[in-house]
Amino acid sequence: MRKVLIVLVVGMFVGWALAVELVFWTAPNPLQEEFWKTVVAQWNKLRPDIQIKVQTIPAAGSSEEAILTAIAAGNAPDFSENIFSGFAAQLADIGAIYPLDNFGTDFQKVIETRKMKNIIEGWKIKGKYYVFPIYSNPMLFWWRGDLLKKLGYNNPPRTYSDIYELSKKFADGKTKFTMQVVVGRNWWDRWFDFITYYYAASGGKPYIDVSKRRVNFGDDFGKQIVQFIYTMFEKKYTAVELGDNPFYKGVILGKITGPWEVNWAKETFPKVVPEIWFSAPPVPDNYPKDKPIYTFADSKGLVIYSTSKYKKEAFEFISWVFSNAQNDALWIEKTKMPPAREDLTTNPLFSKYMEDKFFKAYCEFVPYAVPPALIDKTIDIQQAMTTQLIEPLMYLKGKPLDILDKAVKEINKLIF
Amino acid sequence: MSNCSKLGKKERLFGYSVIFPYLAYTAVFWGYPFVWMVVLAFTRWNYFSKPNFVFLNNFFRIFTDSLVIRIALNTLNFLAYLIPMILFASLLFAMALTKVRFGKTFIMLSFLVANVSSGVAYSLLFSNLFSVNGPINRLVDALFGFTIPWFSNPQLAVFSICLIITWKFIGYYGLIIYAGLLSIPQSIYEAAQLDGANKRIIFWKITLPLLNPSLITVTVLAVTLTFGIFTEPYMITGGGPMQRTTTFLIYMYDTAFKRIDPSYATTVAIITALVSYGIVMLIRKIFEKEVVFV
Repeated sequence: MRKVLIVLVVGMFVGWALAVELVFWTAPNPLQEEFWKTVVAQWNKLRPDIQIKVQTIPAAGSSEEAILTAIAAGNAPDFSENIFSGFAAQLADIGAIYPLDNFGTDFQKVIETRKMKNIIEGWKIKGKYYVFPIYSNPMLFWWRGDLLKKLGYNNPPRTYSDIYELSKKFADGKTKFTMQVVVGRNWWDRWFDFITYYYAASGGKPYIDVSKRRVNFGDDFGKQIVQFIYTMFEKKYTAVELGDNPFYKGVILGKITGPWEVNWAKETFPKVVPEIWFSAPPVPDNYPKDKPIYTFADSKGLVIYSTSKYKKEAFEFISWVFSNAQNDALWIEKTKMPPAREDLTTNPLFSKYMEDKFFKAYCEFVPYAVPPALIDKTIDIQQAMTTQLIEPLMYLKGKPLDILDKAVKEINKLIF
Repeated sequence: MSNCSKLGKKERLFGYSVIFPYLAYTAVFWGYPFVWMVVLAFTRWNYFSKPNFVFLNNFFRIFTDSLVIRIALNTLNFLAYLIPMILFASLLFAMALTKVRFGKTFIMLSFLVANVSSGVAYSLLFSNLFSVNGPINRLVDALFGFTIPWFSNPQLAVFSICLIITWKFIGYYGLIIYAGLLSIPQSIYEAAQLDGANKRIIFWKITLPLLNPSLITVTVLAVTLTFGIFTEPYMITGGGPMQRTTTFLIYMYDTAFKRIDPSYATTVAIITALVSYGIVMLIRKIFEKEVVFV
């Protein structure tokens, strides 16, 4: 008996001594944190040999800043989430993240099990997969159904001309505007206006040819979009400043947003939320009626850092989490964001979530939601788009086509 | 016999132990970053690989960077608004304080609260206050039938940010000027009054010249403050409209943490520090006068 006890104690001690501990940084978002703490607790129970320690990305100006500081200081975690594609391209460029292709068939297997074969293609950086996409938030337009009904509409506007028509009935150029056309002046706001309009107008065509390092949006689609933005500002159907919560206060009829706003809107404006209608982003008048409209996907994923000593163990954990569809169901429950999988509307496991009109609307667009260009100069490009393209259009500084032409030249210079 | 050998071992040990925390602090928080700054300025580093020596390339790049030129002009624009606004408001506050008989400490503390407030919090507050359908614009609209584009017009955005910064620093700078006002001997005013000087002459010929040290101190502080503007434009305008509120600090932050180019960000920081130092020295050389009360 005594010998057995000694063997047990020694065994436990050896097991404890051999166990590895991986540090995993999660997004500074309480809902996502809750999800990760739940699954990590299950994993830690299941695998005492590979223990995961969950930490929220440290407080900083942004997640990117915190991660870069950690890399510089040699304190990077083993793996982390909350990585957007442009940042992943930058990290891949400096060799800070590890290609997941190196896990060979195990990686392919998890992609197949999670039904994300097409989605993962949008995340290829220089021929390799560095990011494991977790969620994909298609950007949709919300419309004030109650106000549209009063104006005699049963559906939200679809084309630019529909919006002009609606504007003539609603906008007064002073206190009432049709929609928020430009989201803001931060570089990331371009994802939610110009880039979204471009994906919609072009049927999901990339706005930048990453391999040739050239801008694509100088084409006819881009021309139609700049004309639309310019007209909206010129005719005062929209304004540079719309005030706080203009959508909920009835100042505007439509705005673009992602599913992250749903819970907040339900709590803050419970009377407005039931009246919301959804639509894809507006398209040019000649856009085929039978063709699906594409939109921008605000998606983020997981990466494993090159400095990690336990890359295989980190991948084992990732593979374990995402091979089980129940975990994606848990993700939906906790975060209300669509997981990056292609069977959301067909898998019976997710059918109960489709009763929520918001979640259903967003899920329906997941197959038509395109992530941003995977280019290392994302911030410079989008900052240039703001100053060379969007702001001149907003302030009516020049003719729209000249503004586009100049912006394309400037951005081509920047990325070449 | 040298001074050192005059002291006993105990005294020397005590001396070292007293200065050690300061030396250690300086070495860690000043010496190390300084050395690293020099290394970064002459290399190209991406946080991950080893720094590559590039000699003066980072410095040459600054002179061809159109955004740096834009930001330099923005900084001059900020200075043009901020210095007169801060000097005038602080002087007014200090002079008003000399007239107050009761509750002086309360008033001083009330104004100083702005100085210790969170930049993020008051930026959000002002952003809502000045928004197109915010309370200020609603009042203006009700009274005059138009709204003011506080943050969407390029020049007004600079002015509005200066207004917020003035609000924040009026208490602090006002106290510096107030201390200066108190240090002017009453006998000088009495002599001037006996000579028949009126209030206007007393202000322009006595108060203002004798306040020179305080005014220069405030001006120098305001100049360094202008070169360090970050939170307000970062939170409210994001550097826009038309890049007019982009400051050196925003550019450094974006370059270091968004463009993954800490070397160039460091070089911009060095040049910014040198330029601000140059401007401060110039102001002192031109405007600083020695004030002696006999």
